[in-house]
Amino acid sequence: MPPTISVQQLSKTYQVPEREGGFGAAVRGFFKRKYKDVKAVQQVDFKIERGEVVGFLGPNGAGKTTTLKMLSGLLHPTGGGANVLGFTPWELNPEYLRSMTLVMGQRNRLSWDIPAADSFLLNQAIYRIPDDEYKKTYKELDELLELEPLMKKPVRNLSLGERMKCEIAVGLLHRPKVLFLDEPTIGLDISGQARIREFLREYNKRTGATILLTSHYMADVTALCERIIIIHHGQLKYDGGINELSHKIAPFKLIGVILAESNSHDLSKYGTLVQNEEDWEKQYIQVKAEDVTRITSKLLADLPIHDITIADPPIEDVIEQAFNS
Amino acid sequence: MHTLKLLSAFFKVNVQMALAYRADTVVNILLNLMWLGWELLSLSIIFNNTETLGGWGIGELIALLGVFRLVNTMMIALIWPNTEKFNQSIRDGSMDYTILQPVNSMFLVTFSRITVWRIWDLILATVLIVVGVNMSGGTTTALHILTFILLAITGTLIIYSLWIVLIALTFWFTKFDNNVTILQALMDAGRYPATVYPVWLRVIVTFIIPIAVATTIPLQALRGELASGQILMFVAISVASFWVASKIWKAGLRQYSGASS
Repeated sequence: MPPTISVQQLSKTYQVPEREGGFGAAVRGFFKRKYKDVKAVQQVDFKIERGEVVGFLGPNGAGKTTTLKMLSGLLHPTGGGANVLGFTPWELNPEYLRSMTLVMGQRNRLSWDIPAADSFLLNQAIYRIPDDEYKKTYKELDELLELEPLMKKPVRNLSLGERMKCEIAVGLLHRPKVLFLDEPTIGLDISGQARIREFLREYNKRTGATILLTSHYMADVTALCERIIIIHHGQLKYDGGINELSHKIAPFKLIGVILAESNSHDLSKYGTLVQNEEDWEKQYIQVKAEDVTRITSKLLADLPIHDITIADPPIEDVIEQAFNS
Repeated sequence: MHTLKLLSAFFKVNVQMALAYRADTVVNILLNLMWLGWELLSLSIIFNNTETLGGWGIGELIALLGVFRLVNTMMIALIWPNTEKFNQSIRDGSMDYTILQPVNSMFLVTFSRITVWRIWDLILATVLIVVGVNMSGGTTTALHILTFILLAITGTLIIYSLWIVLIALTFWFTKFDNNVTILQALMDAGRYPATVYPVWLRVIVTFIIPIAVATTIPLQALRGELASGQILMFVAISVASFWVASKIWKAGLRQYSGASS
């Protein structure tokens, strides 16, 4: 059987208008536009078999969303080809559109002012889903996502987590064989993320659907995907098992420290200091995973520690580190 | 068949949205009642004070008003709200979902929003047309009425095509909020029979800006003033403009998918 998704030398170059800041530049730019070529995706190759759940990773701007958009048919590539379920996605064959779904965590498909149930019925009409099949699918999704209590409230009154459940469900009403999920857990709290994750795993098991998902949360990927594909600067950097990746990249942990007194202590002797813009109060030290216990107890012994945390480094940093070195 | 099902699904959702906020619904009902009253009042003024305009009798003028209202209702109930939604969806990216639905995207963009409150306008327009045709005297034949309906449809199709072209331009411009304002400005020129304008302006109003095709021309058919060659020409023009519009729409979609990120 041919692979469900196969991608050959897929490339996409954007032309982006570019100008200097400032008033004069804005006026000049009006008359004479300068464009810059941005190579979002460069000659990417991969194949995904039926029923696989693959994590698609890379830092912001790596080309993940662009690739997903090409595979779902929204974007025409500037080079190369792709085949999903025997279709060329960007030909937008209605039969293809009925057998796949694209869920984007930051976009809404549901109408804001009316209960989700109404939008569900509209989608039933759009996808020509027969009543009995619709009821069956809805029942299954309800079982997994506990949709019923959410269906009657206007979508604007749902919490982000509740809305995301409905957004995912509405994208699955037509029983797609291939799911493209772009940041399906973005902005959700931990239990919300876990619920979506659990659902996707169960959905994949029950239906044998093929899933390609991008996420910023390492936990999403480790929980769901046995295989990951990493792209960086538009190029394929890694395609393989998730366990092999952690061997390939030295396993690091981040120790975050807030000192009780002044910050005059030099922490660099414990490990590499890492910048964190979001949390400037804390100082972060990167250490090898096997050294975590030793260094933590040393820190606690040596310094007046007010607060200490141990965490996995953000996935973006891991990838950045692995492929920039 | 499926198209009808879809239309009714869209209509239902729009009724649901119209009823979503109580106060808003009440205000809308009151506002629309006020509009209706105002319309009837201004119509009675026209009834009582006008005999002929540009050689047209009062009955024909009323029918013209009816046709104008019909087209205008299409503008208010479909074209305005859908343009608004379209412009927004280009900017916030929800156009992506529209394109990926297994339904003709032009159809989706045309009917996903319906201002259901303007139903009364539709009824008023139909009444005006029927009354006007009756008043214009016994000269109309069934054939004239049929060509009138045919040309009203082709005229609407031409305006619709123009709209599609205008919003499709947004695919290239990314921001083009005035798209429907341009159309409305052209529309307003069709309020009076094209024959009241000087010849040079009439040519512009009829051909370059093809709004009169949906108002004056059908009325001329009703009066039996059009030769069959002319009728055929208008049908041909409308089919051609629809064809061109859908080509431009498709090219616009390709542009969108080529440029967005």
